[in-house]
Amino acid sequence: MKRFRFLLIAILLFPALAHAYAGPGAGFAVLSSFWAIFVAFLYSFYALMTWPFRQLFRFLRRRNAYGKATFERAVILGFDGMDPELADRFMKEGRLPNLAKLRDKGTFSKLRTTFPAISPVAWSTFMTGVNPGKHNIYDFLARDTNNYLPYLSSAEIRGPKRHIKIGKYSIPFGKTEIKAMRKGTPFWHWLGNAGIFSSVIRVPVTFPPEKFQGVLLSGMCVPDLKGSQGTFCLCTTRMSSDKFREGGVRVPVERSNGVCRSYVPGPDNPVKENAGEVRMDFELKPEAGSKQARFTVGSEKFTLKVGEYSEWITAEFKAGMGFTAHGICRFYLKELSPEVEVYVTPVNIDPGHPDLPISHPVTYSIYLAKLFGPYATLGLAEDTWALNEHVLDDDAFLAQAYGNHEDRERMLFDALDKTKQGLCTCVFDTTDRIQHMFWRYLEEDHPAARDVPKSERREVIQDLYQRMDRLIGRVMEKIDDDTLLMVISDHGFKSFARCMNLNAWLHQNGYLALKEGKTESGDWFEDVDWSRTRAYTMGLNGLYLNIKGREKQGIVDPADVDRLKDELREKLNGLVDPASGTVGVTGVFVTDEFYRGPYAENAPDLLVGYGAGYRASWDSVMGKVTSQIFEDNIKAWSGDHCIDPRLVPGVLFSSHKFIEEKPAIVDVAPTILKLFGLALPAHFDGKPWNLAAKAAPGA
Amino acid sequence: MAAFSLSWLTSPLSIVIIVSLVIGLVMVVLFGYTSDQKAIGIAKDQLKAHLLAVRLYRDQIPVVMGSYGKILRGTGRYLKLAFMPLLYVIIPITLLMVQIDRYLGQTPIPVNAPFLLTVHMNGGDALNDATLNLPDEITTTAPAVHIPANNDVVWRLVGAKEGKYEVKIAVGGQTVEKTVCVGNDLPRISTVRLRGQFWSRMFSSAESALPQNSPIESIAINYPDRDIDIAGYGMNWIWLFFILSMIAGFIFKELLGIQI
Repeated sequence: MKRFRFLLIAILLFPALAHAYAGPGAGFAVLSSFWAIFVAFLYSFYALMTWPFRQLFRFLRRRNAYGKATFERAVILGFDGMDPELADRFMKEGRLPNLAKLRDKGTFSKLRTTFPAISPVAWSTFMTGVNPGKHNIYDFLARDTNNYLPYLSSAEIRGPKRHIKIGKYSIPFGKTEIKAMRKGTPFWHWLGNAGIFSSVIRVPVTFPPEKFQGVLLSGMCVPDLKGSQGTFCLCTTRMSSDKFREGGVRVPVERSNGVCRSYVPGPDNPVKENAGEVRMDFELKPEAGSKQARFTVGSEKFTLKVGEYSEWITAEFKAGMGFTAHGICRFYLKELSPEVEVYVTPVNIDPGHPDLPISHPVTYSIYLAKLFGPYATLGLAEDTWALNEHVLDDDAFLAQAYGNHEDRERMLFDALDKTKQGLCTCVFDTTDRIQHMFWRYLEEDHPAARDVPKSERREVIQDLYQRMDRLIGRVMEKIDDDTLLMVISDHGFKSFARCMNLNAWLHQNGYLALKEGKTESGDWFEDVDWSRTRAYTMGLNGLYLNIKGREKQGIVDPADVDRLKDELREKLNGLVDPASGTVGVTGVFVTDEFYRGPYAENAPDLLVGYGAGYRASWDSVMGKVTSQIFEDNIKAWSGDHCIDPRLVPGVLFSSHKFIEEKPAIVDVAPTILKLFGLALPAHFDGKPWNLAAKAAPGA
Repeated sequence: MAAFSLSWLTSPLSIVIIVSLVIGLVMVVLFGYTSDQKAIGIAKDQLKAHLLAVRLYRDQIPVVMGSYGKILRGTGRYLKLAFMPLLYVIIPITLLMVQIDRYLGQTPIPVNAPFLLTVHMNGGDALNDATLNLPDEITTTAPAVHIPANNDVVWRLVGAKEGKYEVKIAVGGQTVEKTVCVGNDLPRISTVRLRGQFWSRMFSSAESALPQNSPIESIAINYPDRDIDIAGYGMNWIWLFFILSMIAGFIFKELLGIQI
C-alpha cells in the first residue's frame, strides 16, 4: 500500500510528455471544465459589456421602468382553493402564525371569485383582469356544437399536417401546432412591455407558454406525454376486466422464472399508421422475502420497497425511424405478494428534454430540471383519479402531492432569489388537490368516509394549512418592506357529499329526450335524441340550450331562448334534495347578463350554482343521463368548489393594507399594474385597490 | 495479402489508432465503474443550470455575477469528482503509456547517421579513464570530447548496419554496456541507462540500472524524436493519441451511457 502511494505521488509529481495526459477521462474533465468556464465568461462578459447599452435603450424606450412603482417587487403566491373560513378558523386557533401576521399587519379578506368558481376560469381572470367573456375560458371543457362532444377549453394540440410516406412509415413533416384557446393578455406581458421582469411559475392556463419579458413555467392544462390530462397506469397480475372510470389504464404483469415483466403505455406511434401506442417495457425482480423488488427500466436500475416511490425515471418511447418521445414517470410498488402491483404515474413531459414547449423561454424548464432534477410538468400533477379509484391509498397520494409541492417550493425560492425587482408569482395546487381528496375527514358524516373510524381520520387539511403557513414564513424572511407580498386563492372550498345529475333532472322534466326505448344514456349523450332535446349539460356548471342555428341539431327557436332560460332558472333555483330536504341549487345565472366580450357567445347559456354540499354528479359532468337525480358522493374526491360562486370566495392576504371592501380576483391584474405605476388597459374589468399605508408616488 | 495487412497494422499510425481506441474504451469503462456517476451527473447539470441562468437573467447583473461564481465553484466540484476516479486508473495507464512511448517516442539511429553517446560521471577523476569498446558495426567518427564542467564524456558514433548493439564503456576497472538501436524498425528504445534514480528509470529508461558502485551515473544516446505523419504534418504520437482517445472516449461514453 505504501509502495502504491509512493508510485501515485511520483506519477503526479513527475509529469513528463508521456504521462502528462492520462486518457480521455482526464481530457474530458479538463475540457468540459474549461468549456464551462469559457462559455460562462463569454456570457458574463457579453452581459456586462452590453448591460449599459441595454439599460440605456430601455431607458430611452420606456423611461425608468420602476420610476413610478410603489414597490420594487411584488410576490404573489397562489394557494389554489385556500378557503377563507378554514383559514380564519385555523388562525383563531393559533395554528397559522404567519398568515395571522399578514392579517394583522396588512390585509385578510375574502376574494370574490369568478362565475363559475372553477380554477381555469378564475386564474384566467386573475392574469388577464377581465371577465370570461373576454378570455374565453368557462370550464375545463368546452363543447363542439357540431357533435356535442367535449374538447379541452384551454389549448388545442394538432400534429404536423404533412407526412411523408416511406413504406409502412408515415414521417411527420413540420411542427406540432399548439393553439392557445385562452384569450386576453396576462398582466405580466404589460409589465414586460414596460421593462419590468417577471418570474411566473405554474399559473394555470399558461399552456402553451407565450413570449414576454420574463420566465414562465406552464401550469394546469399542460398535458402528459399521451396528450391527456393525466393517465396513470396500474401494472398488475390481478386480472380484471373492469376499466377505470377515468384517468387510468390497467396493464398486465407477466411472471416468469421469478421475474415480472410489464410495460408503460406511451403516446400513439407518430410514424406508423394504426400501430397503436408506443410502449416502454420494464421488469422487476422480487427480493428479500418479497418486501422489495429490483426494477430495470431502460438503462436505469433501482430498488423499491413495498409502499415506496421511485425517483423520477426517464421514460423514452421509441417509435422507430429515430422518433423518440421523452417523458418521466415515477413507479410505486404497491404489492409483491401474493399478487404484484405497480402504480406508474402519468408520463409527464420531460422538463429537461421537452417535446412540447412548457416554458418561456424553452430553456427555463431545462434550467429548472438541471438545477433541481426532474419534476412534475403535468398540469394536474397530483393523481386524484388514482386515489378515487383506490389504486393509491391516502399515504401514497399525500407522498406524491407533497413531493410535487416540495419541487414547487424550490422553484419559488429560486425565483425569489433571481427576481429582486419585478414580479414573482407562483401557484401551488397542493391546497386544491388535498382539500378535494380529504374533505371527507373534516365532516362527521361524509358519505365518502362513513366506513372510516374517527380514530383513523387524519387532520390532513389542518396539516396542509399549517404547511402553507410555514412556507409563508420562509417567504417573509426573504422579503423586505419594498416588496409587496400577496397570498390569494382562486376560490374557497365546501363539502361535496351529494351529487346531482342535472341531465337526469332535465330528462325527467322534459327538456332532454332519450332515444326510443332508452331510460338512461351513456357518456357524452350517447343515447340522447337531439331532435327532441331543448337543454343539456356537460362539464361542471354550464347548462346549454339546444338552439337552432347554433347547435347542429338545435331545435330551440332563438326567439324562445330567453323564455326557456327564465323557465329553467325558475324551476331549478331552490331545487330541494328530497332525501335531505336541503336546497341543492341555490342560484341559476343567465350568463349573458354578466359576461361581456368577444367570446361571450361561447359561454354556456346558464350557470348552475349548487348549494354547499352539492355538485354536479360525476356522470352528469361526462354527459351521461341516469335515472337518479340525487345520490351520495362516495369517492375520495369529497370537497369541491364548483358550486354557487357566492359560497366559495377565495382568500386575499397581503403584507400591506389595501382599502377595499369587496376585493375580487379580477382586480389583481389592475392592482399590480397600478402599483408598478403603469396605465391600465381600457378593456380591464377589474378595479385597482388602494393601499392604506404606502401611498404610490404622485398618487 | 496477409502480409500486406500485417504491415499496415504494424505502422506507428495504426498502432496509435488501435491503442487510442482501446484505451478510450477501457478508460471510459473504468471511469464508469470507479466514479460516482450520480454525483457527476448532478454536478454537470448544476453547471449547465448556472450557464442557463446567465442567459435567462442576462439583464440582472447581480444574478449573472452570482451565477458566474457558482459556475467556478461548480467547476471545482466537478473536477474533484472527475479526478477522483482517475486516481484509480492513472497508474496502469501511465505505465502503459511509458511503455508505448519507448516504441513510438523515438526512432532508431539511421544507418550511417552520426549520433552522440554521452556518459555522465560522478566526478572528474574518472573522466579521463573512460574508454569505449565498440562492436564492428559501430565506429567513432571523432575523438572523445571531455566536458569537465559537466562531468561528461561525449563520443560521436555512427552505425554501419541495421541492428541492436551493445557498446561497452570501461572506467575504474568496471565495464558497463549501453544498447544502441540502428535502423528504421520499431524497436523498444531506451534513450538512457541510469544508476539509481528509481523514478527516473521507471519513466525514462528501458534498461537495467547501472551498478551502484560504478562511477558512471548515466549513459545517454540522442535518438531522434519520432513524428507520425498525418496529411503531411508530423506529429508526436502523444498528441495524436490525445485527440483520438478523446474522440473514442466520447463515442464510447455515449454508447455505454457513462457520465464523464
